[in-house]
Amino acid sequence: MELANWVPDDVDTGLPSAARLYDYLLGGGHNFAGDRALGEQFLKAQPNARAIARLNRAFLRRAVLFMIDNGIRQFLDLGSGIPTVGNVHEVARRAAPESRVVYVDFEDIAVAHSRMMLADDPLATIVQQDLTEPEVVLEAALGTGLVDRAEPLGVLAVGVFHFVPPERHPEAVVAAYRDAVVPGSHLALSQFTADLQPVEMAGIVEVMKKSMNPMFPRTLAEITGLFAGFDVVEPGVVPLPLWRPEGLSDDDPAKAGILGGVGRKR
Amino acid sequence: MKAVYSTTYIPMSSAEIELFLLDLVDVIADALRAEPFTAKPVAVVGDRMVAAHFTGMETLQRTVEVLGRALLFTPELRGVDRLAEKVVAVLGALGARFATAMRLDAFRQQEEIKSALLQAKQGVERVLRVSEARFREVFDSSVMGIAITEPDGTVVEANEAMNAILGSERSLIGRSLPRHFHPDDAEVLTASYRSVREGVVDRFREQRRLVRIDGEPAWVYLAVSVLRDADGEPAFHVTMVEDVSELHLMQKNLDSLLLRDPLTGLSNRQHFVTQLETVHSRSEHGITLYHLDLDSFSLINNGLGHDTGDRLLKQTASRLRAVVADQDAFVARIGGDEFAVVVDNSPTTPGVPTMIDKINDELAEPTFVDDRGIAVTATIGVLDRPSPEWTVGQLLRAANMTLTLAKAKGKRQWLPYDPHEDARQRAAARVTAALPGAFENGELEVDFHPVVGLADRTVVGVSARLRWGSLGHRQCLAMADETGLSLPVGQWMLRYAAERVVLWREATGVTPLPLHVALSPMQSRDEDLVGAVKRTLDETGLPVGDLRISLHTRAVLIGGSDDNVQVLTDSGIPTGLNDFHGGQDELALLTELPIHSLTIAPATVRALADRTARNPLAHNAMASLVAVVRQAGVSVTAAGVTTDAEADWWAGIGTDAAQGDFYTASRTTGPLAALFQDRP
Repeated sequence: MELANWVPDDVDTGLPSAARLYDYLLGGGHNFAGDRALGEQFLKAQPNARAIARLNRAFLRRAVLFMIDNGIRQFLDLGSGIPTVGNVHEVARRAAPESRVVYVDFEDIAVAHSRMMLADDPLATIVQQDLTEPEVVLEAALGTGLVDRAEPLGVLAVGVFHFVPPERHPEAVVAAYRDAVVPGSHLALSQFTADLQPVEMAGIVEVMKKSMNPMFPRTLAEITGLFAGFDVVEPGVVPLPLWRPEGLSDDDPAKAGILGGVGRKR
Repeated sequence: MKAVYSTTYIPMSSAEIELFLLDLVDVIADALRAEPFTAKPVAVVGDRMVAAHFTGMETLQRTVEVLGRALLFTPELRGVDRLAEKVVAVLGALGARFATAMRLDAFRQQEEIKSALLQAKQGVERVLRVSEARFREVFDSSVMGIAITEPDGTVVEANEAMNAILGSERSLIGRSLPRHFHPDDAEVLTASYRSVREGVVDRFREQRRLVRIDGEPAWVYLAVSVLRDADGEPAFHVTMVEDVSELHLMQKNLDSLLLRDPLTGLSNRQHFVTQLETVHSRSEHGITLYHLDLDSFSLINNGLGHDTGDRLLKQTASRLRAVVADQDAFVARIGGDEFAVVVDNSPTTPGVPTMIDKINDELAEPTFVDDRGIAVTATIGVLDRPSPEWTVGQLLRAANMTLTLAKAKGKRQWLPYDPHEDARQRAAARVTAALPGAFENGELEVDFHPVVGLADRTVVGVSARLRWGSLGHRQCLAMADETGLSLPVGQWMLRYAAERVVLWREATGVTPLPLHVALSPMQSRDEDLVGAVKRTLDETGLPVGDLRISLHTRAVLIGGSDDNVQVLTDSGIPTGLNDFHGGQDELALLTELPIHSLTIAPATVRALADRTARNPLAHNAMASLVAVVRQAGVSVTAAGVTTDAEADWWAGIGTDAAQGDFYTASRTTGPLAALFQDRP
């Protein structure tokens, strides 16, 4: 994409972003040529990528509705990305119109896009922060006035922790969110694993090295470990098609790529 | 339904999807059944599919496959005329509309993402603009000069403060900063800039000189760092400049502050001493030192206020400078109201009397303070052409001694240095200095002198008097006061005298004679006087009624001794005044205090004796005084009476008693002689 020369260099559209790649895989149009090219490579490494993206998005929807059923009315969506279809506030509102959502993302375009979409929305907003800095994120979220510290919070980390490198200590990051929320709060977390398809996963990791969001798959044990301090609800941490499916699905859990689960803070 | 569902993500539950799709199928079925047939209503299906995100890559293909088969073979549509043809038309319309909606949707999303991109960039730009604005604010409003220069020193940015420091009216942009380095500092500065540029140091901070546009040097602190480009190459120098010229001037001034009297700007005492030493040692024709003391300056300070005092001091300083303006001379302020003028003489220098006249004339010119003309006078000690051998210490001492002598003569006096007087004074000073040692070694003695009743020339009392070798009572007391020894000396004398008198009485059994003790000024003011006297009486056994104490008249007048007079009297000790001259203020004391007696000062007695023939007025005055005093019930003693004739005169005017050489100890006989003539 050719940029006008007044555009400062700080917003880098040359490097593909995971958020726009995800949008592309979900059939969205909120992406650039670079993202689509990366998407094609991604598809080559993991032919099931579109299904995986869809499964992840569907997991998000089911997790939100599960939390609504369990009384959660405020959500913190970490790494919300490009607002494509089935955003948290849309899903939540169809079940409980009073639900409040604070999106958190760090990437300029995703944030700008979300701001545009949410400009006139009194119950949903986005803060531009790094999700690996829980104190800063929580402070910003509280600052929006949409989150009440005394009320159980639905923390959504769906398809995002595979972008958190080990040196950022994902378990400590999750723990910090856990410690900041009241008991009864929920965590939905899903992320890529190499447990299911090691070859394809290795391919994805290679491909994503060319983006601004390299990927770090984790084992089932590692992902389960992220739920420390939470009671993981049935069926536990599983390939996404197996998590509380709504009727028919012919998606093969062995090719789902992502493990996920929902936990409730003790 | 499964066919379309798995090709894309639709944020609905399976049940919702099924309902949604069935609804769409109904629309199509209705269209196929309608007469006359038109495919138009089906278009909305394409719109709704795209809107609901049935937009997968294979969605349309699968939709056509599923619908094509289902519509042709579903029992509900079996009766429809030309069904196959209509199904093709419907699917065609659906497909066309789906494609259009997809294209529009893709455009919309692309618009959105581009718009987001734009916003993101504007956001970044806004942040940059804000930070640029902040930088501008700091840059423009800084009191520090800031210059951004290229590595070669060319200025690309400079703020107003920088212009001000270099005194430039125009922008410095395009000029060379190194051209403003002071020649003496240029080399080291250039090296410092280089070491920052080459990364040897991150920054440097040095105090250096820059050269202003007008050529004047400006002392500055330079803080210099380097801005690097993306490749880490040095792109610009940032030079922050703090103008410390004033600080530097102050530093320079600090020296002079230490040497100058801040009020008058004259040399202070320390500097004066140095200057005097220099001039004295180099002088060809000798120097003259005028040591001035302003007369009664404390009266001006206390009476008119220190502001007025300060103005007069400044005025005096400038006038003294004016006096010696055309000579090789300097003026210093060497004390609160003391000045010194040092003239390095040349063959044409006016003589000392001329100079004194000039000084007096200048000072006589009144200074107006609140419309009131005030003039000061000065008393001056002059040291003219002292020997080049003399040290500065000797010069200062001699000048000071001469000034002191001049002051003793009165106000607006001057005296030249007198080597003989100096020698005498120095001898006296040496003696005084030796008194403490003498007292310690028991060299002080107490003599007893008779107090003679003038009515019948009988001894009526015993006066205790100090003696140290050939020095008499008054000299001893004066030296004791000067050295601060008078209190212990006085107490010692009282005790010694009381012991001796008691012993003498016991030995001889004569009628008790009262012991007279005259106190010095300092002893008169002793706060512990009464206590010491009582202790002495207790310990020696001298009856309280047998002691006569006289306090020094001046000391009582000045104050601080009133209590002593009162308490001594209350204790039963008849208390008098000694060294009485007969002044009005002295007489007033008699009405204020319970005075038992007074002793006329030897100086007054001597003065009357010298003028016996010439000055009847003084004699009459004294006669009246004695009469008045005695009438008031106060007895009068004349001290220092030397001849019988004098004694007769004093007796004639009614004086009660006298002391002095007219009645020498040798005239005493019997038991009295044992006391008065006893000289160990």
